Amino acid sequence: MTIGIAGVYTTKFGELWSQGFASLMKEAIYGALEDANLEIKNLDAIYVGNMLSGNFGDQEQLGAAISGELGLNIPAIKVEAACASGGIAVHQACQAVKSGSYQTVLALGIEKMTDYAPEEVAAGLMQAASEDERIAGLTFPALYALMARAHMQKYGTTESQLALVAVKNHFHASLNCKAQYPFTLTKQDVLNSTCIADPLKLYDCSPITDGASAVILTAKNQQVKILASQVATDSTGLAGRESITEIKATKLASQKAFASANIDPQEINVAELHDCFTIAEILALEDIGFVKKGEAGPRLEKGQFKLGSKGLIVNTSGGLKAAGHPVGATGVKQVVEIVEQLRGSAGKRQVKGEAKLGLTHNIGGSGGTAVIHILTNKGKAFNKN
Amino acid sequence: MLSWTIVRTPPTGFKQFAPYIVALIELKSGVKMAGQLVDCNILKLKSGVKVKAVLRKVRESSKEGIIPYGIKFKIK
Amino acid sequence: MKQAGIISYGSYIPRYRIKVEEICSVWGKNPNDVITSLGINEKAVAGIDEDSVTLAVEAAQLAIARLNPLRSERLSLKQVGSIDIVFVGSESHPYAVNPTSTIVGDTLGLSNNYLAADLEFACKAATAGMQASLGLIESGRYHQALVIGSDKAQSRPHDALEYTAGSAAVAYILGSEKVIAKLICMTSYSSDTPDFWRRDGIKYPSHGGRFTGKPAYLRHVKEAATQLLKISKTEPTDYKYCVFHMPNGKFPRQVAKELGFSSSQLEPSLIINQIGNPYSVSTLIGFAAVLDVAKPGERIFVVSYGSGAGSDAFSFEVTKEIVEYRKLLFHSLPKNNSVSTQIKDKEYINYIQYLKMTGII
Repeated sequence: MTIGIAGVYTTKFGELWSQGFASLMKEAIYGALEDANLEIKNLDAIYVGNMLSGNFGDQEQLGAAISGELGLNIPAIKVEAACASGGIAVHQACQAVKSGSYQTVLALGIEKMTDYAPEEVAAGLMQAASEDERIAGLTFPALYALMARAHMQKYGTTESQLALVAVKNHFHASLNCKAQYPFTLTKQDVLNSTCIADPLKLYDCSPITDGASAVILTAKNQQVKILASQVATDSTGLAGRESITEIKATKLASQKAFASANIDPQEINVAELHDCFTIAEILALEDIGFVKKGEAGPRLEKGQFKLGSKGLIVNTSGGLKAAGHPVGATGVKQVVEIVEQLRGSAGKRQVKGEAKLGLTHNIGGSGGTAVIHILTNKGKAFNKN
Repeated sequence: MLSWTIVRTPPTGFKQFAPYIVALIELKSGVKMAGQLVDCNILKLKSGVKVKAVLRKVRESSKEGIIPYGIKFKIK
Repeated sequence: MKQAGIISYGSYIPRYRIKVEEICSVWGKNPNDVITSLGINEKAVAGIDEDSVTLAVEAAQLAIARLNPLRSERLSLKQVGSIDIVFVGSESHPYAVNPTSTIVGDTLGLSNNYLAADLEFACKAATAGMQASLGLIESGRYHQALVIGSDKAQSRPHDALEYTAGSAAVAYILGSEKVIAKLICMTSYSSDTPDFWRRDGIKYPSHGGRFTGKPAYLRHVKEAATQLLKISKTEPTDYKYCVFHMPNGKFPRQVAKELGFSSSQLEPSLIINQIGNPYSVSTLIGFAAVLDVAKPGERIFVVSYGSGAGSDAFSFEVTKEIVEYRKLLFHSLPKNNSVSTQIKDKEYINYIQYLKMTGII
């Protein structure tokens, strides 16, 4: 059966002081409904991806909080997988439509996190890590710094190459009016920025962001369809991983996704990869199989993956680094961006040539959860797997 | 020690100790864990360096609560 | 009655030091005046995440590790025999109510079959624990004791104590088999003399200035020492070494002289100069420095002092066992970890770092 994307919408990402939870949620949901040419009463179920509503906003039972705000009585369920909450919401929405029980399902990703002190946010996000990591006083920049250092030692990846991820994604964001930081950066800007957790600097790290994104999935045929939706998990902490120079959950989820869609990585034209830190995009390029292990740095130096270059284009939205990373929303925003690309409606960010296949890659924590979606604008059906 | 970094922007409960070094350690048994490195010269940090476990206070404690002791590491 | 004595010992001195000159520069004092009057050059400062519990664990781990014939740091208590007493003496127990001794016991992995208690008597809390343990072992009712002195000394900025109040820990394992220094005699002298005190809930101690001298330290140390010489029927010349509590560099030298001990008998124990006064650790770490060099057959005279006030006096005789024991002490563990080596393993800090480490800022 097909899983079609009926409508998509994303709010601006940034420090949205004047918008609270309800306002963001409504903007995203009504925006997606308008894009889909549907009404609120057409929705059969809502999945909402969010990580910190309880910790910061004191609000759990988020599903009911949202459906109630909309005046609905339909099934509405919060799903959480840290920074992969959005991707999981889309995944659950796919399963819901696939089950046949629901026809039109909305996946919402939403996060309000800029109203809190930085150290509180750092501690809140560490709920995605493991106990020993929290006791050690780790933060997410530090966790990815541990992986970066190991990757640099094993493959010779350099701080310069890491910086190129930020440069590329900022260039893309400068073309995206919804991005938190729609301005360019030079490599020197990145290398000169303040050290956050050696070797990662300020501009190697994605920001704290508010935002919401929504997609509406349907059993009806649509221009853009979801070809594969796969999830894999691994230990929450780095101590439990077999290796810290790769994210195994990414490898497993993408292998399953390519198999179920019956395509190769090389066929993907455009991808949104989870660049919570610059090293994460490098790991993703390798773990998904777009490049060989250790090759991502050199390929970035050659100017690949940037709009205007040949081959796969990565993070036209600006990624997490430059478009912003409202934790629960990111996974859904990634789908929104790929849908725009596959529809040909991405404006200045549009990849040239025929964009037929797109991929989104969403990670929870330092690699505890990975969600891969493959989308297409051609007539392929969603595989039973 | 497998990898290390320096935390300069600490989470709540660790401000007093920052900046501090955190590492991923592999114990003799093969089990791994994350932990802070104390009393050490940054210049001596290299992957593979041997460390030993010590008991220290692991985070700031409230005036009235139980004092949180835990494991940190020192270069051997 | 069993022959009780010391079967192992270990000290821990935190690596940070602050010089008297550094403190003087903040308060506009002449360092030479302070160094001369207090007889101290620098003191040991514990890290921000250390306290009397963590210091005690470090010292105890060393004392236990030195007994391991496998010569590894990994303690094996089965080989040691089981420890059935744990006493920790401190003026800075982290809790007013909750035992340091059981946090230490659990961290060391002791079985649960032991008597534990925390002791307080200013700077003689640990030696009081030592007397109690030696008595229990002599009776045969208990077999092996772990007695620890540990302090993370707090002093009010700009107070005289700021130059001397240091941090350290020292642990002794006492028993009746393979004793390296056997107990010959012990006694104690106590009175109600409030020369130095700290009220419950108050951060810094208070003291009576010059009252801490003659009526306090000198009186009690001399009385306990005289008592010990009398009941053991010995003279100062019968001893190779003497150790006295070191609240500053002057008092131990003064009391040694007044009792008839020579400076060469006293010298090896004088660690105050380099690490300051870590309160309940002072006498016992001075004693450890002596044990690092003493030879079989030599006698050591040890008198502690605790404000409030009292003194515990001991006479020990080093045995042949110390020769074998010393092989483990100096060679087996990764670093030579004698008291003098630990004193030399240091890193200087400035006054701002000192304020951060002592939690004042």
